[in-house]
Amino acid sequence: MGLSKRIRCKVLLIIMAFINILDHGSVALANELPYDTYNYNFYEDIVYTPAAYIPSGSISGTQLIYEGESLGVLSNPQDICKTPSGDVVLADTGNHRIIILNKDMTKVIKVIKDFDYNGEVGTFSSPYGVCVSKKNELYIADTFNNRIVVLDEDNNLVKIIKNPTSEVLEDSYVFSPLKVSVDYADRIYCIAQNMFEGIMVFENNGQFIGFIGTIEVEISLWEKFWKRIATKEERSNQRLFIPTEFTGIDIDDDGFVYASNIDEAGEQAIRRLNPRGQDVIKKGKNENLGGDLWSAGFGKYSGASQITDLVYRQKGMYSLLDRKRGRIFTYDHEGNLLYIFGGLGTQAGTFVTPVAIENIGNTIIVLDAYRAEILTFSETQYGSLINNAVGLRHDGDETKAVELWKKVLNLDENNELAYVGIGKAYLTSGDYVNAMDYLKKGMSSEFYSIAFRRYRNEVLKENMSFLLTGAVILVIIIVVAKGIYRKKKGLEKEEGLLNE
Amino acid sequence: MNKYFSVEKLKYVFYTVSHPVDGYYWIRHTDKGSVLIALVLVVLFSLSFSLNRISASFVVNEIDPRTVDSLTELGGVLMLFALICISNWSVTCLMQGEGRLKDIAIAIGYAMVPFIISINLATIISLFIADGEEAFYFLILVMGISYGIIMMLLGIMQVHNYSLAKTLVTLFLTLVAAFIIIFIGLLLVDLINKIYGFFYSIYIEIVFRV
Repeated sequence: MGLSKRIRCKVLLIIMAFINILDHGSVALANELPYDTYNYNFYEDIVYTPAAYIPSGSISGTQLIYEGESLGVLSNPQDICKTPSGDVVLADTGNHRIIILNKDMTKVIKVIKDFDYNGEVGTFSSPYGVCVSKKNELYIADTFNNRIVVLDEDNNLVKIIKNPTSEVLEDSYVFSPLKVSVDYADRIYCIAQNMFEGIMVFENNGQFIGFIGTIEVEISLWEKFWKRIATKEERSNQRLFIPTEFTGIDIDDDGFVYASNIDEAGEQAIRRLNPRGQDVIKKGKNENLGGDLWSAGFGKYSGASQITDLVYRQKGMYSLLDRKRGRIFTYDHEGNLLYIFGGLGTQAGTFVTPVAIENIGNTIIVLDAYRAEILTFSETQYGSLINNAVGLRHDGDETKAVELWKKVLNLDENNELAYVGIGKAYLTSGDYVNAMDYLKKGMSSEFYSIAFRRYRNEVLKENMSFLLTGAVILVIIIVVAKGIYRKKKGLEKEEGLLNE
Repeated sequence: MNKYFSVEKLKYVFYTVSHPVDGYYWIRHTDKGSVLIALVLVVLFSLSFSLNRISASFVVNEIDPRTVDSLTELGGVLMLFALICISNWSVTCLMQGEGRLKDIAIAIGYAMVPFIISINLATIISLFIADGEEAFYFLILVMGISYGIIMMLLGIMQVHNYSLAKTLVTLFLTLVAAFIIIFIGLLLVDLINKIYGFFYSIYIEIVFRV
């Protein structure tokens, strides 16, 4: 079944590509968003939805005033993160500085260009990643200085992590941290350049412990076959089978590490690693955590989504940022795709090279390295209803979520998750007929079957007496009829014998 | 007996299903089969196939009912039926097969009966099963399909008076012949298109110049 579904998908993809050529731009949306908002249904077809988030502005360096002067144009900024109090930390990589903005990103709280490094002036060299711990300590991946700098709230140096040594690291290894993240116990998780073994983990004293979350390379039989028959020269020209590097990292409240990577197959671009480094993420009904399901065609715009960063939001929800088509995909803790928004372009509210995503209250902010701007997206009613309903479901309050799901259906009657949410509530309350109806609309084979099985048992239990009586009567009739038939036949035979 | 349809011929369909070897033998050697009934059975099979795809429960059915077009499927099934009959006939003609085109059509058409029964039964059953009980659905389908295939095999064997090995060889050659027919058909369509395009451009040229 799985195979046939895949083949069907591919055929449909080709057909869709042709339809897209013929039918270009015929889908008119009744809004003025610079991007399409859509989702995928049970059949993995695109369904257009209301927007969950709409662009609400952008912040560039020139707008911001610090100590009477404009900050000037940001240069190739690479990372944003938030402090526990909600302030925004921005890594202005090309200008070798860290900027801290207030919650609304209207004021600059401070700009860090240097720090006191044991009496000398320490500076940054292309800091690619920033992160703030629960203790309000600032972790800076000072990439070209090959170190991680940890500063406290008053810019005092707490510690510096550099030159990690271990048996598993080569002696010639140069440590160039790109992204950094800290958990509640001040363990440091770091994505480093050219480090394919996984995420580097450091103890809170800066001691390198090891790697977690290695992505294993899968080599297909076909590729093995070609490798076998290729000559040495050809083999040296082929690309190496090396695992992909992680691109983004975030840590949830329980200390689980979310890490994104670029998956060429478009199947799983996000991992949720438990403390032992095992991937414990849940996949939804489409068994896909790779962003877009439709990615056929030719040219730059085709191919699987390339997830470049992620943000863990709340209640098990997380959003992925795709740099291929500039989309933001949001999933719930069960791996269901909740909504998709965003796009590439030069209009307001679209990206050129999105690099980092963060969630501040009800807004999602995205950092664009080329535009050197932070773009903000504010929640719509549709988005807020889904967020709240998913949050309630995550906490186990499925009955409370029903009201919200009903409102979601008013806005978008194709929302399968809403149908499933309502259907599950009916299921717990024992109304199996309604539960079956809603769960069927939500295409949830699993829960529909539970409702159906209970309903079937109920009907059977009520009508068992009639059924059994009917069966007994049927058996008696058959036995009697057989007897009569035999007797008749026997008589005929006897007559036949007599006639002879 | 009526050439195309009679009650006896209809009853004989069920005799053939329960006694394939005998049934097909007498279809070849006496006038007991009917091409019309065979065609009707093929159409029925196509309709049941579409019905299954449209209305089987979503527990076992991953197909979007909105994408199913029964008329297109009917056309496809009839084309496939014609293709198999003609390619089998063209191969067996050269391999001392005794069957006429008519007999081949009947042999294949009558073998649709188990398909029709099992696919409809499975569709009905699918409405009463839950997750984890799909085995019943697939068991019925597999049983029907395998019986139909066995019937088809026996039918072709009987109408041509072949041994089993020879039947299998001819079936393989039938497949080859089918591909050749498709290939020639495509060539023909392309050629006709080109000729049409040629005359059309002449017409355009004349219209613009005169």
